[in-house]
Amino acid sequence: MIPDDARALFERLLEEKDPHPEIGPRVPCDQLLAVARALKEELEYRFFVYCAAAHFPAPKDAEEGTPAEILVAYRVRRLGPGTVTVPFHVRVPVDTASPSLASLYAGADWQEREQYDLVGALFEGHPDLRRIMMPEDWEGHPLRREYAIDTPHFPWR
Amino acid sequence: MTWYMTLLLGLTICTLAMALGAWGTWYERKFAGRMQNRPGPTEVGPFGLLQPLADLLKLLQKEILVPRGAARWLFLASPIVAAAGTLSLFAVIPFGEGIVVADLNIGVLWIFSLGSVLVLPHWVVGWASNNKYALLGAMRAAAQTISYEIPLLLAGMIPIMLAGSFNMGDIVAAQDGYRWFALWPPGPGAVAFVMFFMCSLAEANRIPFDIPEAESELIGGISVEYTGLWAAILQLAEYIHTLVTAAVCSVLFLGGWDGPFVDGPHWMLLKTMLIYLSVFWMRWSWMRYRSDQLLAICWHYLLPIALGLVAATAIWIRLVEVS
Amino acid sequence: MASVADPRVKDLAIGGVRVPAALVRETWPDPYMDIEDYDPESDLMSLNMGPQHPSTHGVLRVKLFLDGEICVKCVPYLGYLHRGVEKLCEKLTYVQVPSVVDKNDYVSPMMNELAVCMSFEKLLGIEVPERALVMRTVIAELQRLSSHLLWVGTWGLDMGGAIGGGGSLFIHTFRERELFLDLFEELTGGRFHYNHHTPGGQRHDIPPGWEAQVHQVLNVLESRLIEYEDLCTDNHIFQARTVGVGVIDPVLAMELGVSGPVARASGIDHDLRRDAPYAAYDRVKVQVPVRQEGDCFARYMVRLAEMRESIRIVRCLIDDIPEGPICGAKMVKLPGSQKVKAKEFVYAYSAIESPRGELGTWVVGQPKSASAYRCKIRPPSYHLVSMLPYLCVGQMISDIVVVLGSLDPILGEVDR
Repeated sequence: MIPDDARALFERLLEEKDPHPEIGPRVPCDQLLAVARALKEELEYRFFVYCAAAHFPAPKDAEEGTPAEILVAYRVRRLGPGTVTVPFHVRVPVDTASPSLASLYAGADWQEREQYDLVGALFEGHPDLRRIMMPEDWEGHPLRREYAIDTPHFPWR
Repeated sequence: MTWYMTLLLGLTICTLAMALGAWGTWYERKFAGRMQNRPGPTEVGPFGLLQPLADLLKLLQKEILVPRGAARWLFLASPIVAAAGTLSLFAVIPFGEGIVVADLNIGVLWIFSLGSVLVLPHWVVGWASNNKYALLGAMRAAAQTISYEIPLLLAGMIPIMLAGSFNMGDIVAAQDGYRWFALWPPGPGAVAFVMFFMCSLAEANRIPFDIPEAESELIGGISVEYTGLWAAILQLAEYIHTLVTAAVCSVLFLGGWDGPFVDGPHWMLLKTMLIYLSVFWMRWSWMRYRSDQLLAICWHYLLPIALGLVAATAIWIRLVEVS
Repeated sequence: MASVADPRVKDLAIGGVRVPAALVRETWPDPYMDIEDYDPESDLMSLNMGPQHPSTHGVLRVKLFLDGEICVKCVPYLGYLHRGVEKLCEKLTYVQVPSVVDKNDYVSPMMNELAVCMSFEKLLGIEVPERALVMRTVIAELQRLSSHLLWVGTWGLDMGGAIGGGGSLFIHTFRERELFLDLFEELTGGRFHYNHHTPGGQRHDIPPGWEAQVHQVLNVLESRLIEYEDLCTDNHIFQARTVGVGVIDPVLAMELGVSGPVARASGIDHDLRRDAPYAAYDRVKVQVPVRQEGDCFARYMVRLAEMRESIRIVRCLIDDIPEGPICGAKMVKLPGSQKVKAKEFVYAYSAIESPRGELGTWVVGQPKSASAYRCKIRPPSYHLVSMLPYLCVGQMISDIVVVLGSLDPILGEVDR
């Protein structure tokens, strides 16, 4: 459940009255930094929990031109007794960059690098967007839906 | 003593030293095992007594690798220099009345000067390996051994001043009748003994002063690139150095061959073995200091105390003379 | 950033907690500093504390740029233990996943299983019975004890060397850890990897005599904890190596996502067991140890206190485990029987307090599928390792080893 002060903030900044309880409101790319900064500095949600991306390819029975999308979900937490978390997310077409939160939260740095490496989510304004888990010369993003789990890659497979 | 008896004695001492160095590993592993609630080596021979032989055979049959870019002859020669140097320290140590290979008038000076020269092989071992970890270990080794020599020499001056001679035999004779320098003069003698022992630990690179081969930080430290026989020689050099330290401590501070009932080499050996054991005990109980803390201990604490000790001993001698 | 100009200010309210003002810094080291700016003549030595190193707690490569012995820049490289666990979770069914995520945090495996199972239960809407909740709490605390024991031993190794004083401490703590592994073997049949938790509860029930065995083990551990304190806490060498070394700024810790004993040693009073209770933690009042110094010694003291607290919690709960079923979902014979009931994608996140911090799982569930669509594990050690570029600047190599050990990262969950 999203706590009340965050709910009020979302209503004020995004005009979103009914955010999704688990992944929060969908934040447009140009407002992401403003929302995150407000959460961090006004409401003291300073603990960065995660940045997770998921690849949603265009469904087979959709109309022409529905793009494949990447969902980038964030969550921040206010610590201490009565700790609560606030989720929010961004949905971008594949190969479009969403803004990076690395300038606000130091923890977003490595998390976004990992999501770029594994899912292929691009982040604009990230200081050093390169692969972190896979070797530097790996091709493809393993956690994309179309990437087969036994894709050959010499010399590891 | 005639020359052939001297030669025989020298060979015996060499063999004994190498055997005690090798079986020191057995002793250490058994002791360490019992400290850690396990038996130590038990398989090879009764009570695992043939374990050092098994280790030696294993190390002998390993491939000798000289890293590319290493200074080849220095790499191969310096462990031998280290081992030979530590063995030759045994030349002046008296095991009994007159049982000494070379009864030099400057016996203690031989120990100190050869000990100082032995700084070099440790440093060259690290430098010649063409490996950054070994280089770091070598720099630490050089800094540590050079620094700790000063309190070592100053603490070693105390027995020399009290006995009035550099000859090891004379120093032991001056402690005859339980007037061991560690106990008498009360106070300065014990402090000098402890300081001499600590500085010798630092010279021999034993925990808590083993940063040159700090295994958890620098992997193998100076000996990281050595394999097989050469690693065995380096390790043997370290154990023999510890043994020499123990022997020198017993001669200078614990009265050498002086003991209850019958004086003789057995007391000398017993005291040497006791100090050897306590070195192992410390190794398996304590963690190691950081390199800058180690040097700080030497320069900030040990050096002033050593200088004070020399002054105190001089005053003591004057008082004893006057009275 | 908070201002610390006023020396009378003792603590600052940041992020919901009060942190000691003495630890908060104005600026942090820049992890992306160009080495050319520091030293145009390239006099620095770059040393690889490579993937094979006795003290990197797994396969972690840390590239250090050294000025003499002092580190100027530190670049960690991950991925040496990456096994594709998240991709595998998309292929396996919900019931098969816990046995795979066991291997993430391989030192306290049931924590991983618990985190994953809690998320799946939230996603699939499965109720967990009382007995299972209490058992989960007991087992989590026993796992915390065995993990901290291993940490004390390996930290001793880092400081004293395997052939040396550290080895003795290591063997002693592993002797106690063996008692815990025997307990888990009685319960589940496995010593290191258990496959015990399942969405809905657990697989194995408590065998007869297990409670008495737990009491025995805890009594032994309590006496040995006193021994470890005697060995380490007042030891001059130990204090020289750890006091004042590796001080962590609590604001940096918060922003990086670092929680657990590392954050608590820097004054952040936050513990998910007390503040967002899961399983049966709402029945036990968890007392959270917090220290204000933020150095390695403080982390050691916090973990020792946590061990004592875990002993107390287990003693509270072990004798009153309620009767009943141990699993809310029907014990599945076919792995594909647990499916998402909703018609669109569903999401869930739940977190537990592992011995390293907040361990959580973010799951996306696909309708009519018995496997997760995307399972992202939020490992606490990932954030701990990301602290290294900030912490290592200005430290000597020996200190870096001690600091990395005191953070207690587990590379299995960093890389997954």
